[in-house]
Amino acid sequence: MSEQKRQSEDKLLEKVTSTEYKYGFTTEIESDTIPKGLSEDVVRIISAKKNEPEWMLEYRLKAYRAWLEMEEPNWANINYTKPNYQEIIYYSAPKQKPVLDSLDDLDPEMKAMFDKLGISIGEQNKLANVAVDLVMDSVSVATSFKETLAEKGIIFCPISDAIQDHPELVQKYLGSVVPARDNFFSALNAAVFSDGSFCYIPKGVKCPMELSTYFRINEAGTGQFERTLLIADEGSQVSYLEGCTAPMRDENQLHAAVVELIAMDDANIKYSTVQNWYPGNAEGVGGVFNFVTKRGICHKNAKISWTQVETGSAITWKYPSCILKGDNSIGEFFSVAVTNNMQQNDTGTKMIHLGKNTKSTIIAKGISAGKSEGNYRGLVRISKGATNSRNFSQCDSLLMGDKCGAHTFPYIEVKNNSSKVEHEATTSKIGEDQIFYCNQRGIGTEAAIALIVNGYCKDVLNQLPMEFAVEAQKLLEISLEGSVG
Amino acid sequence: MGLIKNIKSYSEGIQISADKKEILTSFLLNGFPTTKDEEWKYTSLKKVITNDYSIENKGEIIDSSIIEKYSLGFKNKIIFSDGKLINTPTIKGVSITGFSEFESATTDSILQLNKALSQNGFTISVDKNTVVENPIEILFFLTTENSFCQYRNQISIGENSEVKFVERIQNLNNSSSFINHFTQTNCAKNTKVEFNKIQNNTAESQLIDTVNVYQDQDSTCNINTLIFGGSFTRNNLNFEQNGSNCESNMNGVSVLNDNQLADNHTFVDHKSAHCRSNEMYKGVYLGHSKGVFNGKIMVRPNAQKIDAFQSNNNLLLSDNSSIDSKPQLEIYADDVKCSHGCTIGQLDDDALFYMRSRGIGIEEAKAVLTYAFASEAIENISVEQVKTLAKNLLAQKLNVDLDFSL
Repeated sequence: MSEQKRQSEDKLLEKVTSTEYKYGFTTEIESDTIPKGLSEDVVRIISAKKNEPEWMLEYRLKAYRAWLEMEEPNWANINYTKPNYQEIIYYSAPKQKPVLDSLDDLDPEMKAMFDKLGISIGEQNKLANVAVDLVMDSVSVATSFKETLAEKGIIFCPISDAIQDHPELVQKYLGSVVPARDNFFSALNAAVFSDGSFCYIPKGVKCPMELSTYFRINEAGTGQFERTLLIADEGSQVSYLEGCTAPMRDENQLHAAVVELIAMDDANIKYSTVQNWYPGNAEGVGGVFNFVTKRGICHKNAKISWTQVETGSAITWKYPSCILKGDNSIGEFFSVAVTNNMQQNDTGTKMIHLGKNTKSTIIAKGISAGKSEGNYRGLVRISKGATNSRNFSQCDSLLMGDKCGAHTFPYIEVKNNSSKVEHEATTSKIGEDQIFYCNQRGIGTEAAIALIVNGYCKDVLNQLPMEFAVEAQKLLEISLEGSVG
Repeated sequence: MGLIKNIKSYSEGIQISADKKEILTSFLLNGFPTTKDEEWKYTSLKKVITNDYSIENKGEIIDSSIIEKYSLGFKNKIIFSDGKLINTPTIKGVSITGFSEFESATTDSILQLNKALSQNGFTISVDKNTVVENPIEILFFLTTENSFCQYRNQISIGENSEVKFVERIQNLNNSSSFINHFTQTNCAKNTKVEFNKIQNNTAESQLIDTVNVYQDQDSTCNINTLIFGGSFTRNNLNFEQNGSNCESNMNGVSVLNDNQLADNHTFVDHKSAHCRSNEMYKGVYLGHSKGVFNGKIMVRPNAQKIDAFQSNNNLLLSDNSSIDSKPQLEIYADDVKCSHGCTIGQLDDDALFYMRSRGIGIEEAKAVLTYAFASEAIENISVEQVKTLAKNLLAQKLNVDLDFSL
């Protein structure tokens, strides 16, 4: 590459790194917090504050005791200072729980914050046909469209409400896909989770709207431990959206969420995520630690589709997985992971094929810029009984700048001779010839890169529901602003 | 008793230097790798090391008819019997001697054990500007029953030189054997070297073969691995490219049946710019066999303009065969083209039907397709005799007489 061109590209990259985080602000709302630190008493306090039944407390305590015996894993290809778990506040809730009758009752300051984020509930209610269950810190503050959903028999509420109102469902399914002992962070989550979403779609019901939750971390030093439980009963269908932005903070904030999906026979779950938490500044100070366990189980003929656009967080460490237990079940994973500056990303998926004729597709696109590190780590396991199963994996990495890294660690285990598995991975930068081709046709370098990156991610962005596709594209733009228009 | 105890009692009876003792102590402390070790996740040594082995070996004289039987007929033969060097050829510009001490990395406990206790092997040094016309054939025979044998070889190739090797390890009885083989190769500027490894040992043979290659600029190193026999085979091929315009090529064919296990571990460390690497591994699995592939490509910062290509294709032809594959890319430079592909599948039913409808029997049709599958890697071998042997062994293993001239 000519020196001049290299310089202009460096300039573009510099512009990227100097772009400040747009959503960095905090809202001052009085919070009801408990002292920092974690002990059996803290677990009891959280449980008591939520007025939980005995079995729930037992569940938490068991998880806490298991957590004590576990060690924080360090196999991922990421470097960070391990959080001090005694320095974290494990429970905080807005003091006045807003009345849910109408949106006007919302704390004006909070409402302004949501407007700033571009999620005007009022507008969305009317126009977008999206039911938004807002999670502010750890307690849900507004739930809309509840009645419309209730008519169909769909339960969509904060998980703390579900524990009170539908204990039989929660008790049956909580921890059934991600057991508390599964890993260090899932055990921590099971012990201290304060809220999250619960969703149940009854037999044969097609959810009439996209279900959506926004997560925010608000209180400084508050770890957020979300718990999501989504059950799609036989023959039902649901599309669930999850998105997050977090305010700018200088100290690292821990997020250890657990998401469990259960797709019964013939059910279809689509779970989409746009993640844009504070990634830390250009020097890698601050930013969210995002250690998430996401897993779904597919029964007969069921389908689970994970789509994620990951642009934020200082460290992302998550592997949305599918256990294809039932015959003919389908698992999908579509991911765009962008890292910039000092961000580190270790993400991928696990497809565990147990049933016959199971199919899985993995499309993972990584973009690394600045001094960031992007990793794809995935597992495809075809067990002995999974005859005629099929997997296709593609993981591509795009490198922008010579100080970033892109790595792939795919694990492929096949124990069945009637199955077909294909895996391919490529790592490259944007070709000079591609840019030249665009330049030649009057498209500026910046616009050309944008064009190429958009095309590169298209396979994944196409999978997002309309409401999110726009937002995702915006996020990509913000994350790579300067080099990507 | 197990191998560890054999090693302990053997080491007590011999004199070794202080630093070797230190390495041995470290080995005894760590023991052999287990499946908890990431590099040994899919390959268990448990069965291999629970056997008892004799470490001191007799080194019997080998009959010339036996040598002929296992040789591919090359003029230049280096022959070992139970670790003892019994024949060295005289080649102009090449010095071939027995074991000599040399510095080497001890990255895992297998290499630690090799460094601490191995007293056998060869030292080859090729002068500058020398082209060795005929391949050098190296035969390692085992005559002692239940033997554990370690080889430690060093090859240095002078600037602008060219050489080819054909290596074969052969157990002359049907007892179980375990070999820990290590070869360190230094390729100077503008050298060309090719290794052909024929791994077709007896049913109870077990082998760990590590090759460390250090390449200087403009050098090319090819390693071809043919795995047909042996119950346990682990190959570690490590390339370090220390100069620009290096090329590292690997071709592998494994055709396994019964309870065979073959594990190919490759690691290419691209430390300099403008280098290339190509890997092509083909596996055919029958019976209860198991294949493991782990290919790692590392591109260091500033090692720009790297072309690295890796492919691992596998055919699972029986109900009880399995494959674990882990292709890895670790890239720290941006102007590179790196890709890896991995496929696992079966023979195409349509192709089989096509052939059968034209009067070709099912076994032959399968063999032809399997041959076509594996031949892509076999065709990259430059030594004709090795190519022919590979084809014959493939036909033998598939139990067919491939009639067309191969």
